[in-house]
Amino acid sequence: MRIPITGLGVVAPGAIGVDRFRELLDSGRTAIAVVDRFDTAGLRAHTAALVRDFKARDFIAPMKMRRMNLLSRYGMAAARLAVDDRGAALPDGAGVALGTSFGPVQTSVEYMQEYVEKGAALASPQLFAESVANAPGSHIAIEHDLRGFNVTMTQRESSALSAAMVAAAQIAKGVAPAALIGGVEEINEMVFSVLDRIGVLAHANGVVDECARPFDRRRNGFSIGEGSAVLVAEAAPSKEPYGYFAGFGVARDTTASISDWGDDAGAVVTAMRAALDDAEIAASDIDAIYASANATLRADRVEARAIRALFGDNPPPVVATKGIFGEYAGAGSLQLAAALLAIRDQTLHKSVGFEEIDEQLGITPTDNRQPTTVNYVLVNSLSAGGGIVCAVLSREAA
Amino acid sequence: MRKADSSIRIAVTGAGIICSIGSNKDEVWRSICESRAGIGKMSRFPGETFPTDIAAEVGADLGPLMPIAKRETRRMSRSDRLAIIAAHEAVAQADHGANAPLPRGRAIVSTGTSTGGLLEGEEYYFNRLVRGRSRARTSRVLQQPTSAPSDAVARALTLGGGVLSNATACASGGAAIGMAADLLRTRQADAAVAGGSDALCRLTYSGFNVLQAVDDKPCAPFSAGRKGITLGEGAAYLVLERWDDAVARGATILAELRGYGATCDAHHPTAPHEDGRGAEAAMRGAADGQSVDYVNAHGTGTLLNDSAETKAITAALGAGIPVSSSKSYFGHTLGAAGGVEAVITVLALQHQLAPPTLRLERAADDCTLDYIPHTPRPMEMATAVSNTFGFGGSNVSLLFQRVL
Repeated sequence: MRIPITGLGVVAPGAIGVDRFRELLDSGRTAIAVVDRFDTAGLRAHTAALVRDFKARDFIAPMKMRRMNLLSRYGMAAARLAVDDRGAALPDGAGVALGTSFGPVQTSVEYMQEYVEKGAALASPQLFAESVANAPGSHIAIEHDLRGFNVTMTQRESSALSAAMVAAAQIAKGVAPAALIGGVEEINEMVFSVLDRIGVLAHANGVVDECARPFDRRRNGFSIGEGSAVLVAEAAPSKEPYGYFAGFGVARDTTASISDWGDDAGAVVTAMRAALDDAEIAASDIDAIYASANATLRADRVEARAIRALFGDNPPPVVATKGIFGEYAGAGSLQLAAALLAIRDQTLHKSVGFEEIDEQLGITPTDNRQPTTVNYVLVNSLSAGGGIVCAVLSREAA
Repeated sequence: MRKADSSIRIAVTGAGIICSIGSNKDEVWRSICESRAGIGKMSRFPGETFPTDIAAEVGADLGPLMPIAKRETRRMSRSDRLAIIAAHEAVAQADHGANAPLPRGRAIVSTGTSTGGLLEGEEYYFNRLVRGRSRARTSRVLQQPTSAPSDAVARALTLGGGVLSNATACASGGAAIGMAADLLRTRQADAAVAGGSDALCRLTYSGFNVLQAVDDKPCAPFSAGRKGITLGEGAAYLVLERWDDAVARGATILAELRGYGATCDAHHPTAPHEDGRGAEAAMRGAADGQSVDYVNAHGTGTLLNDSAETKAITAALGAGIPVSSSKSYFGHTLGAAGGVEAVITVLALQHQLAPPTLRLERAADDCTLDYIPHTPRPMEMATAVSNTFGFGGSNVSLLFQRVL
């Protein structure tokens, strides 16, 4: 069975709302820009894809908003937009599954600051309540009275796809009639500076400017992004769906280290093939791959090898979105939302950041917006540490 | 998408646990039988003062318990280590005496944790305050993500089926087990190592104190004088397989995971709904009409939880059902609780012995069930429910069935 997706809400870098998000994708521009939220002096990287012009009060009542951190506000806004897009409240018993990679790190930092300054007995209970990763999912459940399952996946880069897999299984099983599915992420100084210190962020190196370059010969790291996308999935569609969840696959690259990607392309093939099998389609049915490619040396290499192993030397068009809104954007939910819009609009998006082919990879991602037939999209997510989740989205119900 | 085939039965073929009352199943069960709690003065953060000073800490030296070389454990958080110790015990049991080993290449790891490696993250944070961000060593903070315990278990035990981590506050461990069973039924994986892990950290210890949710004495769930929780730590995992696969490889089946109910109160960011409406729905979902003989309660010892859970159990399963809180032994192990208490529930079914609620001198007026005070009760149990609830109003109930 396939699970219809009937609503979409997006809070993206440079784009609040689905229409603006579509414009961003269609523009072929990047939302990555110089960071002005915190000081990057002394760090190697200075850019990220930050959500701008976000007015939480447009989406959340002031009394409720006071209790929410930025992570919760992004999630609440995207959920509101998604429910509005569906056009009606969700049915009784609907669930919530969100993913977040780093979750409430900023809130934990603020709590520990009070811990140091005021003492363990006098830190803010409000900060503690918001320091759990499932706070956004909890606020969303309260706001929309969603009393079904409520889970927050924290599987690094694969968090949003993991959430989608878990939620779709619940809907398919019949225990929940519908769910809000997505992810949420917030950029803060702590996460940015640690990633910079361990050397995974894109940076200027005297030869190239700072830029995330997925699959490019000169790639040297990723840019990080934030925001939230929330989808409405339901067993019986209430309106014309954007598309469908058709299949999922999981595997693990046992060669990966704790904070890097591995080199077992076979494991990535296993996950992609499992998603195709789950969708009951063949590799040749896939019209596009919305790649995990984040412009690190290893992640792009292992994914490229896997794509060529499964699809041959002439794979379907590969779209690399993380040059647009960065890695971790909505914990992977923005990549999922982009893939869904490709099906809805029958248009593949332009990849951003790629210029020179890496002959060892042999992948040239899309270099233009391409109106075309899009029946099936494969969405990949590879995590540092070795986790892999892949999904197939379809245009039709069967 | 393959629909989860509900006719597929889920076998529990391994269980592993570490908490304040023992570093493995045998030690834990002996403590349970002897009514010996593992709650004392908190020692983890010497020199730092908190409003209360009671905790259920794992006192064992973890180093000798680790199944892998010391150099491989250097970069691991305490939560990672606890997770590996428990998962190793579970996987070893799943392999023990079987004709064929567990299919590790197709086994997923599903872990629930509330704070992951935040204990080490806090050390980085303090270090940064002293040394500045450009000089503080990052090696500790890399262990912080809540995905780390799943990754660490998968790496240590060479499990290749995939990793799933969730941080659904104190319901995390139960959710990890429930979602793993679903993935077996949809055949996304052939085995699962599922449970939870959480090490005590400052943020948690301080945070529950500022919420005034901590008892200044060892917690006394369901009792008239209860004042809150005792914070604990630990890890526990179950090995789950499709029944036919477990039988085919000659594995010993410890229990059957019959049902999984997951709901949300949709009521308050930290407090449960006073009527226990979400908890009741979760238990109904797990039991799915079957009779239940015993409930291993969430039973935190807070005024609100114990009252709401009592109402929920009464509504869902009747007023006559025996109930107890194992948290009276090892405190609230937070994200690990769903795993730890699932293992206790499986052991209770195996031994046909219901663990008691310790320190229950007099039940509160709003706690009207049979809470099995003081000493374990031998009783015939075909089925038992394990409850796990958390911040955000998340509720998970698991139904286990005895295997004869």
